[in-house]
Amino acid sequence: MCGIIGYVGFRNARTVSIDCLKRLEYRGYDSAGIGIFNEKIQVFKEVGYISNLEKHIPHIKGCIALAQTRWATHGKVTKINAHPHVSNNEKITIVHNGIIENFKELKQELISKGYEFKSETDSEVFAHLIQDCYKDNIKQAVYDAVQQVKGYYALVVLCADEPDVLIGARKDSPLVIGVGDNENFLASDIPAFLKYTNRVIYLNDGEICRLTSKSIEIFGNDNQPLKREQELISWDVSGAEKTGFPHFMLKEIYEQTDTVHQVIRGRISEIQREVMFPESIESIIKNGSNDIHIVACGTSYYAGLAGKYLIEQLTGKPVFVHLASEYRYYGNYNKNSLIIGVTQSGETLDTIAALKKAKHHGCKTLVVTNVIGSSATRIADGFILTQSGPEIGVAATKTFTAQVLVLLLIALKLGVFNKTIGADSLYQLIQSLKKLPRVVQHVLDQSDHIKKVAEQLVNAHSVFFIGRGINFPLSLEGALKLKEISYIHAEGFAAGELKHGPFALLTEDTPVVAIIGSDETYEKMVSNIGEVKARGPKVIAIAEENDETIKQFVDEVIPYPSNKGGLSCIPIIVIMQLLAYHVADLKECSIDKPRNLAKSVTVE
Amino acid sequence: MNTCVILAAGQGKRIQPLTFTRPKVMLPIANKPIIEWNLLKAKKAGIKHFIFIIGYKSEIVRNYFKDGSEWDVHIEYVNQGKPQGTGHAIGVVEPFIDKDFIVLSGDTIFGSSDISNIIDKQESMGVYEVDNPEEYGVVEIQDEMVTRIHEKMQNPISKKINAGIYHFSKEIFDYIKKTGLSSRGEYELTDSLNNMIQDISIHSIMIKQWRDIGYPWDMFRANEEILDEIEPVINGNVEPNVTLKGPVMIEEGTIVMNGSYIQGPTIIGKNCKIGPNCYIRPYTAIGDGCHIGAATEIKNSIVMNNSNIPHHNYVGDSIIGSGCNLGSGTKVANLRLDKKTIIVSHYGRRINTERRKLGVIMGDNVQTGINAVINVGSIIGNDVSIGPGTIVQGCIEPNSMLF
Amino acid sequence: MKVVILAAGEGIRLRPFTEMKPKVMLPVGNKPILHHVIDALTKTTIDEIIIVIGYKKNKILHYFKDYPKLPIRFIEQNKQLGTAHALLQAKNEIDDDFIVVFGDNLIDGQSLQEIIDLENSNGILITSNEYPSNYGVVEINNDQLTNITEKPDKQDHRFIATGIYKFDKSIFYHIQQTIDNGQFGMSAVIQSLLNNNISVGTKKTDKWKDVAYPWNLLSLNESYASSISGKIGGIIEKQVQMKGPIIIGKNTRISSGTYLVGPLIIGDDCEIGPNSCIFPSTVIGNNCVVQPFTSIRNSIIMDNSRIGAQSYIARSIIAERVTIGHHVTLSEDNAMVYINDEIKMVHDIGVMIGEDTIIGNQVSVDPGVIIGKNCHIESLQHISKNILSKAHVM
Repeated sequence: MCGIIGYVGFRNARTVSIDCLKRLEYRGYDSAGIGIFNEKIQVFKEVGYISNLEKHIPHIKGCIALAQTRWATHGKVTKINAHPHVSNNEKITIVHNGIIENFKELKQELISKGYEFKSETDSEVFAHLIQDCYKDNIKQAVYDAVQQVKGYYALVVLCADEPDVLIGARKDSPLVIGVGDNENFLASDIPAFLKYTNRVIYLNDGEICRLTSKSIEIFGNDNQPLKREQELISWDVSGAEKTGFPHFMLKEIYEQTDTVHQVIRGRISEIQREVMFPESIESIIKNGSNDIHIVACGTSYYAGLAGKYLIEQLTGKPVFVHLASEYRYYGNYNKNSLIIGVTQSGETLDTIAALKKAKHHGCKTLVVTNVIGSSATRIADGFILTQSGPEIGVAATKTFTAQVLVLLLIALKLGVFNKTIGADSLYQLIQSLKKLPRVVQHVLDQSDHIKKVAEQLVNAHSVFFIGRGINFPLSLEGALKLKEISYIHAEGFAAGELKHGPFALLTEDTPVVAIIGSDETYEKMVSNIGEVKARGPKVIAIAEENDETIKQFVDEVIPYPSNKGGLSCIPIIVIMQLLAYHVADLKECSIDKPRNLAKSVTVE
Repeated sequence: MNTCVILAAGQGKRIQPLTFTRPKVMLPIANKPIIEWNLLKAKKAGIKHFIFIIGYKSEIVRNYFKDGSEWDVHIEYVNQGKPQGTGHAIGVVEPFIDKDFIVLSGDTIFGSSDISNIIDKQESMGVYEVDNPEEYGVVEIQDEMVTRIHEKMQNPISKKINAGIYHFSKEIFDYIKKTGLSSRGEYELTDSLNNMIQDISIHSIMIKQWRDIGYPWDMFRANEEILDEIEPVINGNVEPNVTLKGPVMIEEGTIVMNGSYIQGPTIIGKNCKIGPNCYIRPYTAIGDGCHIGAATEIKNSIVMNNSNIPHHNYVGDSIIGSGCNLGSGTKVANLRLDKKTIIVSHYGRRINTERRKLGVIMGDNVQTGINAVINVGSIIGNDVSIGPGTIVQGCIEPNSMLF
Repeated sequence: MKVVILAAGEGIRLRPFTEMKPKVMLPVGNKPILHHVIDALTKTTIDEIIIVIGYKKNKILHYFKDYPKLPIRFIEQNKQLGTAHALLQAKNEIDDDFIVVFGDNLIDGQSLQEIIDLENSNGILITSNEYPSNYGVVEINNDQLTNITEKPDKQDHRFIATGIYKFDKSIFYHIQQTIDNGQFGMSAVIQSLLNNNISVGTKKTDKWKDVAYPWNLLSLNESYASSISGKIGGIIEKQVQMKGPIIIGKNTRISSGTYLVGPLIIGDDCEIGPNSCIFPSTVIGNNCVVQPFTSIRNSIIMDNSRIGAQSYIARSIIAERVTIGHHVTLSEDNAMVYINDEIKMVHDIGVMIGEDTIIGNQVSVDPGVIIGKNCHIESLQHISKNILSKAHVM
C-alpha cells in the first residue's frame, strides 16, 4: 500500500510534502520521493525512511508538489523504481498508487513511439502516456490517458507548462481532496493533511479533479463538471510506529491485550448488564430482519463464520455467511434481511460492491470496519468500528480478533432484544469479555512454548487444521495465517469432514493441528485425532488448560485458559497467530510483507 | 495601509469547557464573538481588509464570517497548520502581505481610537498599564521607544505590559525567520521583536481600552464594559406590562411577555421568548433563540444561543453555553455560605478566582433534570446530563452523566 | 540542551512489579514514573530527550511512541552493566553540555531548570532526605562538591546525591576511565572528576522522591494525590457520596451508595459499586471492577484488575490483570517484609500482588506479604508468607 500526496498553495511545498508524507509513514515505507516545481520540475527520491529522503532535498522554493511513500509489494525496492516518475520531456511528473494491468502493451506502444523507460515499474507508463496525450490542457491529457489504462489507480499529476495546477484521478484506489484556504491537498488518506485542514471532498471512482491554490473542479467519467459537497472531519488521528518489535505483525499480536479492551470500550457495562451501541446502530440491529447475511473476503470472511456460530448460538436467528466476490454476483437479496459487511480497511472492493447491491435491493446494511471515513462507512446504513488502531502487517491479526468481538457484541445486543439471552447469562458473558486482557496475556506468556511447537511445522509439506463448532472457522483462519506468511500449504477442515476425502492426503509430513473445545464434541474430537494419528502425521492439540487426558493422544499440546463464559475462541485465535508467526520467523520469511500480497485488496 | 491580521487559531485551554466546542475568539461578549468586536472596531478605524489566522475549529470562524461582505469588509483566511507559537503564526501570512499591516491578538478586545493610533504610527506596538504586571510580559520603554519585551517575571520592573496589538512592516518576517525555538518549544513573537529592536526602533503607544480574557470568569468584566456602551434599542415585541429599567437592548423577533422585569445594561438576542414574570438583572447577555421563562431570575450572566432557562430557575454570575436546557427548578448557587472567595477546580488545577460570587461555567448542550442543584463555582463540560434532584459540584468532564 | 534519561535498569528490589516491566514504568497516579519525569522536563529549556533503555524496553517504546511535546530518541544498553555504562551508550548523541536524569524518581521542573542553569559545567542536584539510596552521600563546601561516597558506614550525613547531574562532553572520557578501573557506578565517576580537580557544583532541592522498594510507590502516590484537583467523568448514579478532590475517568460507572473520599483517582472504563467505599490516596487504573461492599484504602490497583465483593484492601499494591475474589482481606500493619535477600521493617504496609494472579474467595493475606505473578491462590487460604511467581496454593 503506498501513500501519495499532492499540494498546491502558498506554503513551502518541500516542508508541507515532507510533513504530510511523514503522517502516511505509518502505512509502511521502504522508499519515498518528492517532485517539486521551482522554475522546472525537480524530483528527489531515496530508498529508506522519509527522514533519509529529507536529508537529500535542498531547501528549495516552490509551492506545488507531489510525493509518494512506497511500501513495495511488487517490484524491487530501488531509487529508480521509487516514485515520482518523470516523462522524457521532463514536463510531466506523476505519483501512482495501484496497478496498471495492461502496462506491457502500453509500454510497447510507447516505446515504439520513441519513449524511453528508466524503471521496471508499471507506474512509469503514466508519465509517458500523459506526455503523449498532452496538447495544451493537462486535465484533458490525464483524462485521455486514463481511458487507455486498465487497472486501478490513485494518481497525482503535475505539468511544467501549467505550473499552478495539480491533477488527481482515482479508480478503485483511495484519493481524497483536502480543502484549504488559498491551498488545496490531495492524499491517499485524510491523516496526511488533517493538521492543515479538516474539510474534505471525497473523489469517487472514475473521477478527475483539477486543483489550483484557489479552486477545485471535479469532472465525472464523462469528463463533465460535477458539484460535490465538502465534509467536515471531526475525528483526529494518532500514528503508529514499529518501535521495538522485530515485525509489525508481532507487535500487533502483542497489542491484543489492549485490543480486546478497546473493542468493548464504552459498549458494555458489567454492573448494568448492558451492551450499548449508538441509537442508530441499535435500531438497525433490532428492526425486523428475518435473517442476517454476513459478507466479507479472506480473514474477514472467517471472522464472519465465527460470528455466525456466536449469533446463532445466542439468538437463534439464522445467519448466512457469503464470500463477497461470489455474493455480489450470485447472491439472493431479500429486503427483510440485514446485510453485515466485514472489511478491515473499509475499501475491499468486492465487499463494497455487495453492500451497494444490498442497498439497491432495499436491505438494511451495516459494516464492521477498522477505518473511520472509509468508503464502506459511507455506503452502509450504519457502521461499527473495531477501534483497533492502524494495522500495518499485511496478515490480519488484531483486526480479526476485533471483528469477532464486534460480531459477538451484535449477537449479545440482538439476544437482549429478542430475549434469547437471560440477564444472568449476559452478565457472565460480559464479565468474561472484561477478563479478556488477562486471558490474552496468558497466551502471550506462552510464546516460547509455542515457538518450540512451531519447530515441528517448519519442514512440513502441508499442515491441516481441524475443529468443530466455532473452532471450525478458527481452523480455517489458522490455516490461512500459516499459508500467508510461511508459504507452507495449509488447509482447515471441519473435523467431521476429514474422513470424507481429505484423509487420503495424510502422511508423516502433514502435521495436523486440532482445536479441542470442551463441549459435547470433546469425545468425538478425541476419536478424530485417533483416526488421524493412525495415518502417520504428528498431531498438535490446542486444548483447554486443565485437560490432562488429551496429552496421551497427541504429540504436543498448546493450552488455552479455560473460560467458563465460553469465550475460548479469543485465546485460540492468539495461539494460532503466534504459531504462524513463529513458523514464518523460523523459516525467515518476510512477515510484514509476504510475497504477492497487498494489504487492502482494492481490485477484483 | 489597510490590512489587519487577527490571530484566531488558538484553542484557549484556560477557558475550558467553553472552548471544547469553539475557538477562543468566538466566545460571545454582549452577544458578539470577541473577534467580531475587534473587526468592528478596526473597521471603524478604517480597515477594510482582514486576514484571520485560523486553526482550532476553524470552521466555526469561517461559517460565521464567510467572506466578510455582511460587514462590508473583505476577509481572507489562512490556516496556521500545527500551532508553533505567535511568531510562527504571523510568519505564515507573509505571502499575503504587500505593505504594512496591523496585528491584533484574537482574545483581547481593543478600542477603535487605540487601533487608529496604532495605524497612524509605523513600527509600533501597544502597551497598557495594569495593577498586576506580574501576570503578563512587561515592556521596557525609553523615550517612548520600546527597548525590551520581557516574559512574565516575579518582580516586574514596570507596570506597562505588552497589549498584543502591533503595526509592522514587511521587515518583521525576516526577523521571524531568524528566530529560534523558545524554552517553551515555540517560535515566539516577543523573541523576534527583541531581535528587531536592535536594528529597528519600535514606538510604544499607550492604549486606553484593553480587555483580555484568560479564564472563563474574566468574561464577566469584559461583558460589563461592553454592555455599558450599548444603545438601548428595542426591536422586538414587548408587551404593555413589561418593565424595562436602564439601557436594555432587545433584538428582532424576540417576544417579551407581561410581568417581565428587565434591568439594564442588558442585551437580549434575536428570536427569544422572554417571560412571563421573569426577572433579568443588570449585566446579563442573552443570546439568540433562548427561552427565559416564568419565575426565572438571571443576574450578571452570559447565556449563549439556543439555551433554555425556562421555568422556576435561578442563574447568577454564570456562563451558560449554547444549546443547554435547564429543567424546571434547576438553580445555581453563586455565593458561599461563609462568603469567602471562590476557589474552583479547573481541569486539573485549583484556581482562586478572587470572586465572592461565581455560579457555574457550563459548556454546550448540557441538560439538567428538574430541581437539579448546581453548587458554587462548578465547571460543567459540554454534553453532560444531570439527573433530576442531583447536586453538582466541582469539575465535570464532557460527556458525563450524573444522576 | 539535551537530557539523557537512564531507564535501562530492572529494579530487582521492586519485584514482582518489575518482572514484566522496567522500574521506570511503575505507575504513580496512573501514569508511569518516567512520564512524570518527561512532563517535568517539558517545563524546562530542554529541547531534546534521549532515553537509554534496556530491560523490558518494549514497554517503554510502546508507551512513548507518540509523545507530542518533545522529540525523544531511544538508545539501547545491550547488557545491564551499571548506570555509568548506561550513560556511556549516549556518547554519540551529545556534543555539548547536557543533563542526566534517572527515569525512576519524581522531580519538579524548577529544580531541573536550576541544575540546567548552573554556572559550573558539571553539577549534581542534592537533597537532604534521610533516605537510603544508591546514589551516594555528598559533602559540600560553598555549594561546590568536595566528596562523594557510595553507601558510607557513618550514619551521620546531611546530603545525598539525587542522580540528577549536569555534565559536559568530557564526562564520557571519565566514565570510560572509571569503567576501565573496574567501577561501574556514577559516584565513582563523580569522584574521578573531583580527583582531577574538576569543579562540580551543587544545587539543593526538596522535591525529589525515589522508588527503591514497592512500598515507596504508596508514599509517592500519596504525595501525588495530595496535589490533584477534582475532575469527574463517566456516569455517577444517585446517592453516590463524593468528598474531597476526586478524579474519575471517562466511561467509568460509579453505582449508587458508593462512598468516595478523596484525594483519589479512578481511571477510565471502570465499574465501582454499588455500595463500595474507596478511601484517600487510592489510585485505580483503567478497566477495573470493584464489586459491592468492598472497601479500599490508600492502595494502588493497576489496569484490568477485578476485586470481588465484601473485600477489604488497605495499603496494598495490586498489579495488572489480577483477579481477587469475594471476602478477601488484604490488611495492613507494621510488618517485616522479606524482599529479595533483605528483611525490612515497614510501617503500615498491606499486601503486594504481581500481574495476572488469581486469588480465590475468603482468602486472608497478612500484612507485608508479597505474592508473585501468575499465582493461583485457592479459596479459604490464609497466606502468611511470600508466594513465589507461578505458584499454586491449595
